[in-house]
Amino acid sequence: MRTALVLLLILALAAVAGSLVPQVGVADARIASMFRAHPLRARIYDQIGLFDVYGSWWFTFVYALLLVSLGACLLPRTRGLVRSLRSRPVPARELDTMRHYAEVAVPEAPDRAILGARRVLRRRLFRVSGPNGLGSIAADKGLAREVGSLLFHWAFFVLLVGVVWGKGTGFTGQAVVVEGETWVEAHANYDGSVREGRFFDEDHSGVQIHVEDFTATYRPTGQPEDFVTSATLAGSDGSATRSVEIRVNHPAEIDGVKFFQFGYGWAPVIRVEKDGQVLLDGPVVCEQSAPPEGVSPLQIPWNCVVKLPTLDPQVGLRFELWPDGRALYALLETGKAMPMVTEFAPVMAYDAFEGDLRADAVQSASVLDTIGMRRFDTGVVGAGRTADLGDGLTVSFPELRQYSVLQVTRDRGLPIVLLAAILILLGLMPALYGSRRKLWVTAEPDGAGSLLRVGGFALQRRSRFEEEFTKVVRDLGRTSGEGMGT
Amino acid sequence: MSAETWARVSNDAFTVAFFAYLVAMLASFHYLAFRKRSMWVVAIALTLVGLTAQLLSIVARGLAAGRFPLGNMYEYSVVLSFLVVLAYVVFVEGLGKVRTVGGFALAFSVLTMAVAVLFLYVGPQPLVPALNSYWRQIHVGSMILSSSLLALGCVVTILYLAKERRERRAAEALTPIMGGAVDLDDAPPHFEAGADEPAEPVASPRRGLLPAAVVLDRLAYRLIAFGFPIWTFGIITGAIWAESAWSRYWGWDPKETWSFITWVIFAGYLHARATSGWKGRRAAVIALVGFGSLLITYYAVNLWIVGLHSYAGVG
Repeated sequence: MRTALVLLLILALAAVAGSLVPQVGVADARIASMFRAHPLRARIYDQIGLFDVYGSWWFTFVYALLLVSLGACLLPRTRGLVRSLRSRPVPARELDTMRHYAEVAVPEAPDRAILGARRVLRRRLFRVSGPNGLGSIAADKGLAREVGSLLFHWAFFVLLVGVVWGKGTGFTGQAVVVEGETWVEAHANYDGSVREGRFFDEDHSGVQIHVEDFTATYRPTGQPEDFVTSATLAGSDGSATRSVEIRVNHPAEIDGVKFFQFGYGWAPVIRVEKDGQVLLDGPVVCEQSAPPEGVSPLQIPWNCVVKLPTLDPQVGLRFELWPDGRALYALLETGKAMPMVTEFAPVMAYDAFEGDLRADAVQSASVLDTIGMRRFDTGVVGAGRTADLGDGLTVSFPELRQYSVLQVTRDRGLPIVLLAAILILLGLMPALYGSRRKLWVTAEPDGAGSLLRVGGFALQRRSRFEEEFTKVVRDLGRTSGEGMGT
Repeated sequence: MSAETWARVSNDAFTVAFFAYLVAMLASFHYLAFRKRSMWVVAIALTLVGLTAQLLSIVARGLAAGRFPLGNMYEYSVVLSFLVVLAYVVFVEGLGKVRTVGGFALAFSVLTMAVAVLFLYVGPQPLVPALNSYWRQIHVGSMILSSSLLALGCVVTILYLAKERRERRAAEALTPIMGGAVDLDDAPPHFEAGADEPAEPVASPRRGLLPAAVVLDRLAYRLIAFGFPIWTFGIITGAIWAESAWSRYWGWDPKETWSFITWVIFAGYLHARATSGWKGRRAAVIALVGFGSLLITYYAVNLWIVGLHSYAGVG
């Protein structure tokens, strides 16, 4: 057990490292900046897996060792417990050398007196064996302590296995769904934001979510109050549809896949035409860069990009969206940034570039590399308006929608882990507070009646056993007396 | 009454409680040194006054914020110090009948409150959506209850170490007294005798400033053995809440990591108590390491390490 504890402590210390060093998938930007600032240190960290502590080979190795050590410790203990549960308390001699010892004179014959003593101990929930031919009984109590301890440790073992199995066969990723659109749970639809477990079997569920509406509410102070996604869930075959409201702390589930409210953003519907021919018509997801120190994300505009590679020369449009148009004018007039919490006369400022989009070099759809491009127009387009960029190119902004970012997760280990956690608690109580006690009683003739000798000890909570022992001795005298009367 | 009035009531009651504890602490130390019964009466009376005032402060804070008053570090600290004193009165004075260690428990609470009001104070305000869950009451409540029990256990452990050292010095010339005759031959090997019993006293308890080391040791063990399952429960409810709020029950967030480390250390303490040769001083040292880890879990993670629990902090 000491080995298991040390291994557990090593895991905990590794986790400390993981909490201090930025981790892959959590703080990628900080890792990148560390590679720029301290290349050598970053490379060393990378080599020993410090950027991915919980996925590193040595973390897995210690975890596996822990399981082995715990199992190796628990198996013999369990066998021992089964043995002691099956066996009866064994007789003892020389009761007067025990920590607690008393003599009680009773008026009955020894064979009846010992049966009376047996009743007394049974009533106090002792396991009793005997009386044997020698007129003595042996009793014990408190096996619950070891049962609880083993339950605790086995439950911890199951928990460790359940965690690995659940995470290993599951996945978690982010779905970006614009209002009015349907998203299908499949690897390709995560845009690379999905992390799949080590034992993941490529069995994405195919469940569907149709987002009808997203609402964010804020208090007058600008503190967020509630984020709600109203959606319809459907199974992989499109059946069993169900309307749900997904909010923070209230995920929705279908077929073991859970959807959590994670974030939101704005998606203006943009319609681009060239000489009356529609090149693009649909919502474009806008993103936000991190605001400068002391500025709320509500105060800064959203950015998105539209690429038109079929035109010659190619055209790229860069948009800056202000969901509340008043904020743009307030900034222009007073220089003060105003928080934008609801949609109000939204406007988009745009820059239009022409030249080479370099689609082979610039992978990201949300980045426009303007090297080798020429800006040919700039302006503003409000909701419901159309801007003419010249040369027959027009951009309209028919409406503004929102998109919801949902964390999509499947973890089949969840019920196992929860059950194990409950068993851990259940086992902990008797393991900590129970105590093992042993008692022996012998009866021998003493004049007309008999003399009971009582001896015993407790392995834990000795001071409390002292009281119990006194009570047992008192009962032995009393009950036998009653037996005399009948 | 309006929210502002309640906020002011809360702050005033806090001040009353703070000074009541402070004077009670001094009176208790005086009793420890000079054993004047009147000083003990003063200490207990002021402690009860402080508890009442602090309870009022907590309730008023909840009314001012319009929610359960466990939303940020300031509120945790206030409730923590309240529970440490309450646990002291109930378990140490009430059940343990130990009168001399009150000053130390009060000192812990006074320091916690001072840190809270100096560095952690924020006005009462509503919560961000992620904190808006009934799991918050259960999780934060059990974490703070167990923190206060573990902290009190560690205060008593420090006293135990001091007293034990004194007794050992005094007994160095004496021959050791043998332990009680316990027949272990028929017990299975994994049944450790006296897992929760104090180490056998090396010398008979002597009259001194503090209760006998044996008494302190047992008290410390009881407090920690009481706090540990509640800490476990707190971690589990935290995981359940994290599952619904952050989509995973465990993510090695700094707060999670450190609560786990603290759990492992106190688990080690409980195992050490059940292992012969590790009782007494060595186990006490583990408890103190656990206390350090508890303080890191409680303060450092919120104040200096960025993680998901940061918003539970001071801003």
